Amino acid sequence: MSLSRDELIAAAEQAFDSQSLAPDATQSWQTISEMGWLAMCVPEDRGGLGQGSEARAVIHHALGRALVPGPAIAQMMVIDALTGGSRSDEADTILEMAMAGERMTASLALNIGDVLSAVPDADMSSHLLHITDERVALVPMASCEAEQRETWDETRRLFDVRIGGEQRLVLAEGDEARTLSETIRGNMLLALAADSLGGAEAALAISIEYLGTRHQFERPLAMFQALKHRCADMRVAISLADALLWQEATSASLSLTRAGALKAQASRVYKEVAEEAIQLHGGIGLTLEHPCHLFLKRAFLNCALGGDADYWEERAGRECLASA
Amino acid sequence: MSETIEGLRSELRSWLVDNAPSDWRLADTHEGFVAGQRGWFARLVEAGYAVPHWPQQWPGGGRSLAEQKVIYEELARADAPRLLLTFVSTYHAFATLSECGSAEQQERYLPRILEGETWCQGFSEPGAGSDLAAIRTRAVLDGDHYVINGQKIWSTMAQYADRCLLLVRTDSSGPKQAGLSYLLMDMKAPGVTTRPIRQIQGDEEFAEIFLDDVRIPVSERVGEEGEGWKVAQATLASERGLTLMELSYRMRGAMWRLADLIHANGRNDDPGVLRDFGRLSARVDSVCAIADAYLQKRIEGTESIGDAALVKLGYSRCLRAWADFGVRIGGVSEQYRAPITFGDLNTGNWMADFMNSYAWTIAGGSDEVQRNIISERMLGMPREPKHWTQEASQ
Ligand SMILES: Cc1cc2nc3c(=O)[nH]c(=O)nc-3n(C[C@H](O)[C@H](O)[C@H](O)COP(=O)(O)OP(=O)(O)OC[C@H]3O[C@@H](n4cnc5c(N)ncnc54)[C@H](O)[C@@H]3O)c2cc1C
Repeated sequence: MSLSRDELIAAAEQAFDSQSLAPDATQSWQTISEMGWLAMCVPEDRGGLGQGSEARAVIHHALGRALVPGPAIAQMMVIDALTGGSRSDEADTILEMAMAGERMTASLALNIGDVLSAVPDADMSSHLLHITDERVALVPMASCEAEQRETWDETRRLFDVRIGGEQRLVLAEGDEARTLSETIRGNMLLALAADSLGGAEAALAISIEYLGTRHQFERPLAMFQALKHRCADMRVAISLADALLWQEATSASLSLTRAGALKAQASRVYKEVAEEAIQLHGGIGLTLEHPCHLFLKRAFLNCALGGDADYWEERAGRECLASA
Repeated sequence: MSETIEGLRSELRSWLVDNAPSDWRLADTHEGFVAGQRGWFARLVEAGYAVPHWPQQWPGGGRSLAEQKVIYEELARADAPRLLLTFVSTYHAFATLSECGSAEQQERYLPRILEGETWCQGFSEPGAGSDLAAIRTRAVLDGDHYVINGQKIWSTMAQYADRCLLLVRTDSSGPKQAGLSYLLMDMKAPGVTTRPIRQIQGDEEFAEIFLDDVRIPVSERVGEEGEGWKVAQATLASERGLTLMELSYRMRGAMWRLADLIHANGRNDDPGVLRDFGRLSARVDSVCAIADAYLQKRIEGTESIGDAALVKLGYSRCLRAWADFGVRIGGVSEQYRAPITFGDLNTGNWMADFMNSYAWTIAGGSDEVQRNIISERMLGMPREPKHWTQEASQ
């Protein structure tokens, strides 16, 4: 049974309302598992809810909008690897644990090799996804060394991880591994795009609200056309990227490059809106007590994760040139 | 479903091979260009591709959105000219008459559109641009006729039009919107004079219309007296919905022109160029996606205020960026003059396309006006109090 986008959005808004920004990490993770979000895109015959990319986009949009901390994107990469890779009793067991909320993680930086960067919550995770040119595998975290890096973005905890030991569960090899890793990464990029547009939506909303309440020169700032037009331009940019997100999320096949071009656009919009949000708030926007900076930092991190705009846009350009 | 779509695509493709005009860019007189437009429209009508957005009862109408998109994309791919001369008749006049016209007006005028009768839009005046409701052209009742005096401006191809969608003032006493009426005018009526205006690309694309004691029968009024503003909204809405879908899908269908240009100028391995091209292509995709989603909303009846403005502004800015990219890659050769273009957006000369793209940032409610609509009516930001406006104009 397929849930409609509106049903999914309504449920997501109940779980994480946009008024409580950057909620508690432990509590959030529990909500995410209880909502069944980790099982959302797992096929029904593997114990999941069998939803498609649209549900995935709704979830990450909601997480982005409320600046929810935690390793949801990495966790879903592991889950995608388990559902798309070769099936075994061990894989089934781990998948069940992952859907139930046992943390598992992966690099959000497209690393290849034995040292991975941008690995969320590695210290709390049981397994690590390891993608190479030849192989997609799961490695027990116990056999790896993790070092936490202090990120500007306080809503994410990232680690560098050195992979050790020989013990691993191989999920795919050769061509199958390459196909699987494209799927995993395409989904990661879609998730980053949705997270970015959720965040952009929230950053624009708080800015408009602030401009409506703050008075200078005997009028609300929102009355100044110079500011209104900037808000309108941000609205347009977000709506355009949104339209592309939902189109890609509902398309029959999402190519990796298209997902990359989408993520490039969405994260750029997020960055621009978050940048403007601070400017439009004035001094208060530059303080740690105000949430503006959380959006700015998460936006910049989203721009850098999963391959940057330079990388994806060049690739999209080459593909478009070849096919036009 | 997708089978019939692909069937339509290949059918249209092969039809275009035999029928798409190839020499339309070479017109060096206005008359030559207009004649080419008339011939192309007639051929499209005959083949059933001229008005895919019209309802089913019309030949060539009743196409699904998916079919319409394929048609626009393929026309652009085949490098066929856009229908500029009949743009106002097939969109504005058709939408206005279907929604607000009397049965008699519909019967009289709609079939003639397919026979090639052309319309122009007589809304703007020297003193009424963005502030459209400020129009001053007067219509005074005299028996069963209105007598019109005044001046219209920027009316696209009015000099070639048979008829005009004319917005006039019938009452100056109340609020300015309430005193307007909407008339259908014969451009050959005594007292109508047009004077073409040259645009920056050198063409005489739009014209002034001078109205000197022009008599229009009362039966040519659309809606009641004083309802002109409401009827005008139907005209303007047509401009923002379907036309933008045609234009965005045409933009996407013509991406190959930029690809060819990149190859021709040896820039196909230049990462900077490729990046900007990739970014532009995703932007064009997002414009198509939002135009799509918008039309879907209109069909479902879930459109909200400001939705159309998002599409218009999204398209107009993307169009400027698209032409700008062509100017950049084309280099000096884009700086040599092109023949008559009449505002086409695939003229074969990117500088001409760039100049023509202003039509979409200025006309039909400028970008700034769209931003006002979005911020005030969609985002709920406050308007300036009226008394400031009055103080400012004193
Ligand atoms: C190519 C082309 C074809 C056209 N075809 C037709 C046609 O067929 N029929 C017809 O009737 N008209 C037509 N027009 C006219 C068009 O509708 C007007 O040009 C348009 O409404 C703008 O009016 P204006 O030119 O008087 O500019 P103005 O209204 O004087 O605007 C000048 C500048 O001020 C800005 N501005 C105005 N008001 C505001 C505001 N409230 N807030 C912020 N900024 C503001 C505008 O955005 C613009 O940048 C055409 C125009 C063009 C360019």
